[in-house]
Amino acid sequence: MSVLAVAADLLREAFSRKWTLAILAATTGLLLLAAFGLELQVVDGALAASRFLGHADRGGIRPVDVALRPLFEGASSLLYGAGLIFGVLACADFAPALLAPGRIEHLLSLPVRRWELLLGTYLGVLALVLFGAAYGGVGLSLVILGKTGLFGWAPAAAALLSAVAFSAVYAVMILAAVAVRSAAFSAAAGGAALVAFLLAGYRAELAPAFAPGLGRGLFLALTAPLPRLSGLGSHAFALARGEGVQGAVLLAQLGGTFLFGAAVLAGAVALFERKDF
Amino acid sequence: MRRRHLWLAAAAFLLLLSAGLLSLVEPSPAPPRRQVEFPAAHREADRQRQAARRTLERPAGPAASRPPSGGDAAPAAPARRDPFLLALPVRPGEPVVVIEANALRHSRLGQLFVACTTAGDPRAFEKARRETGIDPLKDIDRVGVVGSSMVVSGFFDRARWDRLVAEGGREEAPYGEAGRIFSAPGQGTIAVWRDQLVVISPDAAAARQSLDQLEGRAPAPEGALPEEAAYGEVYGVIPGAAVQRLFSAADRELGARLAAAASRVELHVDAMEDVAAVVRMEGEDRAALGDLARTLGGALAAGRLQAKARGDAPLVELLDAARVVDGGQGLSLELALPASTVERWFEGCAGLRPPPPPAP
Repeated sequence: MSVLAVAADLLREAFSRKWTLAILAATTGLLLLAAFGLELQVVDGALAASRFLGHADRGGIRPVDVALRPLFEGASSLLYGAGLIFGVLACADFAPALLAPGRIEHLLSLPVRRWELLLGTYLGVLALVLFGAAYGGVGLSLVILGKTGLFGWAPAAAALLSAVAFSAVYAVMILAAVAVRSAAFSAAAGGAALVAFLLAGYRAELAPAFAPGLGRGLFLALTAPLPRLSGLGSHAFALARGEGVQGAVLLAQLGGTFLFGAAVLAGAVALFERKDF
Repeated sequence: MRRRHLWLAAAAFLLLLSAGLLSLVEPSPAPPRRQVEFPAAHREADRQRQAARRTLERPAGPAASRPPSGGDAAPAAPARRDPFLLALPVRPGEPVVVIEANALRHSRLGQLFVACTTAGDPRAFEKARRETGIDPLKDIDRVGVVGSSMVVSGFFDRARWDRLVAEGGREEAPYGEAGRIFSAPGQGTIAVWRDQLVVISPDAAAARQSLDQLEGRAPAPEGALPEEAAYGEVYGVIPGAAVQRLFSAADRELGARLAAAASRVELHVDAMEDVAAVVRMEGEDRAALGDLARTLGGALAAGRLQAKARGDAPLVELLDAARVVDGGQGLSLELALPASTVERWFEGCAGLRPPPPPAP
């Protein structure tokens, strides 16, 4: 229960921050812009042709869902990448604020264990990011539905996968904040982790760049447990292209991402247990 | 155990679990590339082949077989010489490249080439044999290219030289002890020696030089292509000046720099199974050679990345096996093509394709 209380406290604090409200307002603004400003002539044309000719795929006219694939793919890529970067920048301050002098002593005087504090903060931030992803991703899917009459799961899936991917990145950010209580350091660690996790998806291609032997072995060993964020995102892009999702691969990548996040969080707790406040 | 250690142990366990889970769905790594043996040095088989080819007892001529700086201390030339190497009409600054045609014909590459050629025209080699009296698949042993001249060794006793006179309008003239020269204005010169060697040259002087070298009237071309450098199925020596000439006018400066750094380029290609090539560059300026080695290494790495980005699988395969070895007196560029890749090149060849399915 203490964990949930800490998470709820963080969410309360987040929604009281102008920064969080500004991000929410900006997201809403972008969705409204898409809703009222987006002109999808190709879709209008396909829909009109369907009505006029009776068959959407008659002649050279493509079905609407095929015509919209590039749009869904672009939106998915944008949401996945922007969600991760946005998360790193927007959430860099939460853990350092928790450890701020005065506040941490107060929190530690409460009947809350140290691991509960960290886990609560972690889950609170993840809940916030998940909410933002759902709002932006599902919102965009709904806007496209409103404009075209076609619901595409890809933008929503990309946003949710981005939130899952961020769980591993944020674990690294918490570890960095426990080591050095600085929002800038936490954000830098998050950025570095993001790059490393994206590259981990290409470890097989990158390995030949290292000399065979110790160097290559070390590279492969170090990158083995890292989440494959590029692979995770590719499932949303595949959905956007109308291709099937490989369920087993997706599950393994989700599991690996959660396990890595949990491992780093455990490391952060171990470091936190050592700290004197 | 302290609580902190328990958390650390949990972290390590979870990391291992993550690595294990992710490795389950990772594409299986490509099987390790089979090591290709590069023709880096003269081997025992090459020595034996060369010993068997030393069939010519060359008389000692005035300057023959003695290096210019000779003197009494200079080692004596071997009593028996390889007539083919002796016949190469080398001039200073000219490249020499030798192709072991008979060995290549029996290599995997050669078999595929012959199969591909005969698939398109089953009588291609037979026609050539009827017209010239020479069976290209059996009678030709080695082909040497020296500047603009060509020296071919083999069995030419059934060659129809009479057609050169009767139909080609050439004049036949004996030359030296065992030579014949067929010439006609504007048609280049063909010289034949003992039905073993043929020299084809646009330049009559080069053909005569070749016969003179064989019969001891001219110094042997020592140093141009020493026996120690005659190994592999293709080998040769290209002086820096000749490398420079390979560059167009626009790249003349680059060619000059390359020639200045690599004053001698030696080439060796093994092609019996895999095709493995070594290009060895030597020069006086070690610093320039070092820069050249790094430049080539960088170019190979960049080329490999570009080929991967373009999805050019054959080039990726070639560049994956390419490397630059900087050491000793120079640098070596090693390139390899596995036999499987060579076989894939010929897959589209007419006749080598699997037969089409029968019509319904």
